[in-house]
Amino acid sequence: MHRRICLSALLFAASGAASAMTADELIAKNLEAKGGIDKIKAIDSMHATGKMSFTGDFSVDLTLDQVVTRKGKVRQEASLQGMTSVQAYDGKEGWQIQPFGGRKDPEKLSADDIKGLSDDADIDGPLVDWQAKGSKVEYLGTEDVDGTEAHKLKVVEKDGDVKYYYFDPDYFLEIRVVTQRKVRGTEQEFESDLGNYEQVAGVYMPFSIESGPKGGPKGQKVTIESVKVNEAVDDAKFAFPATPAAK
Amino acid sequence: MRMKKLALWSLAAIATPAFAAEAPAPKFDSGTISGLGARNIGSATMSGRIAAVAGRNVDGKSLLYVGAASGGVWKSTDGGTTFKPVFDKQPVQSIGAVAIDPANPQVVWVGTGEAWTRNSVSIGNGIYKTTDGGDTWTNVGLPDSERISRIVVDAKDSNTVYACVPGRLWSDSTARGLYVTRDGGKSWTQALKGPNASTGCADVSADPSDPSHLFVSLWDFRRKGWTFRSGGEGPEAASGSGLFETRDSARTFTAIEPNKDNGLPAKPWGRIGITIAPSDPKRVYAVIEGVRSALFRSDDGGRTWTEGDRSQSMVWRPFYFARLIVDPKNADKIFKPNLPLIVSLDGGKSFSGSGGGAHGDWHDMWIDPDNTNHVVGGDDGGLWHSYDGGNRWWKGDNLPVSQFYHVSVDDKDPYQVYGGLQDNGSWAGDSAFPGGITNARWDNLYFGDGFWVWPDPTDANFVYAESQGGFLGRVDRRTRLTRFIQPTAGFKEKLRYNWNTPIEMSPNEKGTIYIGAQFLFRSRDQGQNWDRISPDLTTNDPLKQKQEESGGITVDNSAAEMHTTIYSISESPKDGNVIWVGTDDGNVQLTRDGGKSWTNVVGNVKGLPKNSWVSTIEASRHDGATAYATFDRHTFGDFDPYVYRTRDFGKTWQKIGGKEHGLRGYAHVVKEDSVDRDLLFVGTEMGLWISTDGGGHWAEFKGGNFPSVAVRDIAIQDRDSDLVLGTHGRGIWVVDDISPLRSIDDAMLEKEAAFVASRPVQQRISSFGGTVEGDARFVGDNPSNAAVITYYQRTRHLFGDLKIEVLDPNGKVIETLPASKRRGLNRITWSMREKPPVVPPAAQLANFGTIGPRVMPGTYKVRMTKNKQVYEAPLEVSIDRRSGITQASRQAQYDAAMRVHGMFGAMTGLMARINAVREQANQLAAKAPEGDPLRKQVGAFAEKVDAIRKEIVATKEGGAITGEERLREKLDNVYGAIVFYEGAPGPYQLATVDALQKEMDGVSAEFDSLVATDLPKVNAALKAKGAPEIQVPPAQPVAESPVSSADINAAFAAWAHGSFGLDLDRGTDVRERD
Repeated sequence: MHRRICLSALLFAASGAASAMTADELIAKNLEAKGGIDKIKAIDSMHATGKMSFTGDFSVDLTLDQVVTRKGKVRQEASLQGMTSVQAYDGKEGWQIQPFGGRKDPEKLSADDIKGLSDDADIDGPLVDWQAKGSKVEYLGTEDVDGTEAHKLKVVEKDGDVKYYYFDPDYFLEIRVVTQRKVRGTEQEFESDLGNYEQVAGVYMPFSIESGPKGGPKGQKVTIESVKVNEAVDDAKFAFPATPAAK
Repeated sequence: MRMKKLALWSLAAIATPAFAAEAPAPKFDSGTISGLGARNIGSATMSGRIAAVAGRNVDGKSLLYVGAASGGVWKSTDGGTTFKPVFDKQPVQSIGAVAIDPANPQVVWVGTGEAWTRNSVSIGNGIYKTTDGGDTWTNVGLPDSERISRIVVDAKDSNTVYACVPGRLWSDSTARGLYVTRDGGKSWTQALKGPNASTGCADVSADPSDPSHLFVSLWDFRRKGWTFRSGGEGPEAASGSGLFETRDSARTFTAIEPNKDNGLPAKPWGRIGITIAPSDPKRVYAVIEGVRSALFRSDDGGRTWTEGDRSQSMVWRPFYFARLIVDPKNADKIFKPNLPLIVSLDGGKSFSGSGGGAHGDWHDMWIDPDNTNHVVGGDDGGLWHSYDGGNRWWKGDNLPVSQFYHVSVDDKDPYQVYGGLQDNGSWAGDSAFPGGITNARWDNLYFGDGFWVWPDPTDANFVYAESQGGFLGRVDRRTRLTRFIQPTAGFKEKLRYNWNTPIEMSPNEKGTIYIGAQFLFRSRDQGQNWDRISPDLTTNDPLKQKQEESGGITVDNSAAEMHTTIYSISESPKDGNVIWVGTDDGNVQLTRDGGKSWTNVVGNVKGLPKNSWVSTIEASRHDGATAYATFDRHTFGDFDPYVYRTRDFGKTWQKIGGKEHGLRGYAHVVKEDSVDRDLLFVGTEMGLWISTDGGGHWAEFKGGNFPSVAVRDIAIQDRDSDLVLGTHGRGIWVVDDISPLRSIDDAMLEKEAAFVASRPVQQRISSFGGTVEGDARFVGDNPSNAAVITYYQRTRHLFGDLKIEVLDPNGKVIETLPASKRRGLNRITWSMREKPPVVPPAAQLANFGTIGPRVMPGTYKVRMTKNKQVYEAPLEVSIDRRSGITQASRQAQYDAAMRVHGMFGAMTGLMARINAVREQANQLAAKAPEGDPLRKQVGAFAEKVDAIRKEIVATKEGGAITGEERLREKLDNVYGAIVFYEGAPGPYQLATVDALQKEMDGVSAEFDSLVATDLPKVNAALKAKGAPEIQVPPAQPVAESPVSSADINAAFAAWAHGSFGLDLDRGTDVRERD
């Protein structure tokens, strides 16, 4: 069934068997596949727009707008019926506006509830400079991801989050990320599948992110339509609003 | 599969990294087919046998690891409120032992292969270790152990671990006894072995004060298809069982032999359970199977012993109950799991049933050391929680580890599934129910152990069900009136019914049923009369008919070992006179004249050892001469699958499935698809395998995270093309719509991508059901009510665009769906709804307005764009066949819904104009100095405009339940009523729509009039002050096609900043001109 020899297999053979892979090598291959550390670090801000779909028997689409900067700040907006929900993190504190029930005042988020936002605020992602970020990494061999024998990397982050990265065996881009996070002492576990990689400013980024509880249906589907980099961004948009939002 | 050379990644438009690999050759494997998915519908109401329980208190919560007899390992970090299966990716699911490292709760050891060696017990493949709390498991050895009864981790040295290996049940092996690792599992030493090849380790217990001091019991045992022994061949026969002690971490052992001084009973012995009291190392308890079985107690660390309780529940069925659990704080309180859980408060002198309403047939338990009234135990019915020291029980409703033997389906819509379980009776359950398939959607029909259950094809109110040994009944589901109809014996005759007696419904004559003893019986009147239509079809080997002597030391003749019986029956759907019968002792019998004459054709099955258990014989649905058979040789210690097919009435047979084809585990069942004769399914002890080319190639199905659990039976719901799996350990699973498998061939597999034909799409009724059940109950998933779109990709999609659009019958794109990326078959859903209406912004969401009306039935088109390639396929959409809604009624509903949809759009356009005027007026008024009459005039105008706005939308903010209803909210209510019922709306609803239209027209006219009368005056005043005039945006045409809120927002944003709009942000300082 496999008469043709895979080119990547030869590359592997040259650089040592797959089983001899280390976490460092895997991360290096991933960053190289994305476009290289220089190109990644040349991005100071990213502005992504797209839609977030909840599919199923009923489907709802929200328009999505996310800005993240190298200063470790992020703001995410999702809009429906002309109302916009906001979640933001300014590097220190996180807050949100959830307008759909009639309340448009900003609310502070708890330390546990900002773990996801602070992850999103890391413009490079956790694999860049993981040592400096206080993470621990471990290569766990390969595991089947829906028919793809993917390389598995465990990342234990400083805040206690554990992430399992699964990398495509040929291209070394991540195809799945499983996150385990303790929220008020209880473990939450969710899974995202990544794909539709496109190059932006020389860096491959996933334009499709489908998420759900680990092992369950991935009901939340984010489709990125455009990513702009290095736009001027006013830091004020990440800070807790001094006054309630206008009507 | 023949594969031709394949092009390199051919999409030049997409840049890929420089080291990009060549696209691999297409293959037919698990990844190809598993994208179909699967859903587990449970149930956890009849959970399943729990073999091992381990617990620890961590961070103030009880951490539990539960080993299911054949359903994997389940972990709870919240004392059992929620569980997750953590062993599903491992190749075996039968669990014998679980141990948490005393030094680190993240380190857990699992011994695979259950040690409660009943007839239906499964097998394991060694010992596993996790160091990350169950996320990652490594098989660290003992590959030939088959089953492991106990693991003890040294309390002072985590690298020293003892594994108690009973070993092989069905065959000789020397890979058994007590094993020890001293390097954390890297290497294992057989520290203690028995005197023969059938003696292994039954139990081990470590001294809490000195972990190098352990007691170990060895056990001589053997099961065959027709008999079992615990100890030797009889009560007095030699047995390898014994009791041992080590004081040097299993480097040397001393045998503890009975003598006249130490109080132990005379040998031979059978199974021994032994344990040291955690609170008193001198207190040792042993339950010893012997001619005089009893509990023995030592108060001097095992030197001398006193006989204690020897009640029935102490000594019954040692192969199934042999564990002793002493209260961590009270050495006199001891539990003995048995049919009832029995407990002693007097150090073992007397025991009584612990009481409570648990299922029974207990196997293991954990006592919370911090609160010994908190007890968690496992039995044949699942997991149980007690907070009063084991007297009363909460049932764990969240472990779907039910052990089905068989499964069948009916033709209801949605259909129900039927099946019987190990020690949990016979049930019917829903394949779908609004709100999810909760435990309450399962209906108990019959008692005992359950096996075959069939809905009566002549009357859906009746079912046939049986308990062990073919105790057949016909049950009226309305009243539960049950008539027992098992054929009974004649003069001086013994009928031999298997534990799992076959019952078969004739596919040709409704109402004709079969049951097999050693003879085949047929009834044509629902069991009123039975015809014996065969001679003894078995080998009738008297050596395999000595069940009254079965058990070894303790006789145990429960029908579980009944042998030389008929085990499988199949009447050809093509010819009712062709009946196949398979027996447990290896005969394949065929009649072609309705039972007048029979031929044993098993001799024609080349390469098959004699007397192989015929686990399934199945006549083809497509060809009268074709039949399939699975042979199960695990009762001889051979765990390989044997799957054969004949195409000439059994004259010749071809092996179409075996280990050489990649199948794993002994085979239980083979099933031919109802449409495609080359589409075959085989269930083995280790999972489900699928072939799309008549057995040429097989792939393991892992869809929906389906674990390597025993697939004991398979049913196909013909109407829906659903594959229904009866697993022995994880309940019922449904693979919805297997019809895409019918399209798989070499040509398709070589395509870069393709849509794959699926069953016709219905617009299934959206409805409400169920209730809030909390977190502690299992709920089975429903099939999607959306349109399921199936497509194939040769490789995982990684780079560039992949999207699927839906085009309406006019060719207009009405939806763009994110597409999944996996290799092989993929499935995504389309809600079959129009885009939601564009709704004006207000204080709160218009809830019904977040969804769109269902599209009209018709022929749609799906279009996949994968990088630059485009693929298209038609998609037929029809009304739910149950709804009774006509096309005309449906059209009336759609028209009304779209009318309201359009009214929302018009309302949004009007609101946008009003808001634009209002905002300009407010800003201009604010810029005028206090006291300036212009400020008042413009402000008053703004208020008039705002008053109109407040007629249209609710404006009270703050998040309270305002109950404020304006035009928008009223329209939302009537929209919801119209949208959620897909037949014609009532005239009163349409009248309300008319009324709201009239109200909206009125408001619109009011605004126009304000613009015509008041605005010129205001603008004149503004102009006089040199300020900009208030502009009125043009009325937006109501888009024919629905556009999103975002589109509207974008349009107005563009207008606001556009050529004739004002830049509201920058504004104009009116005061400078004052």
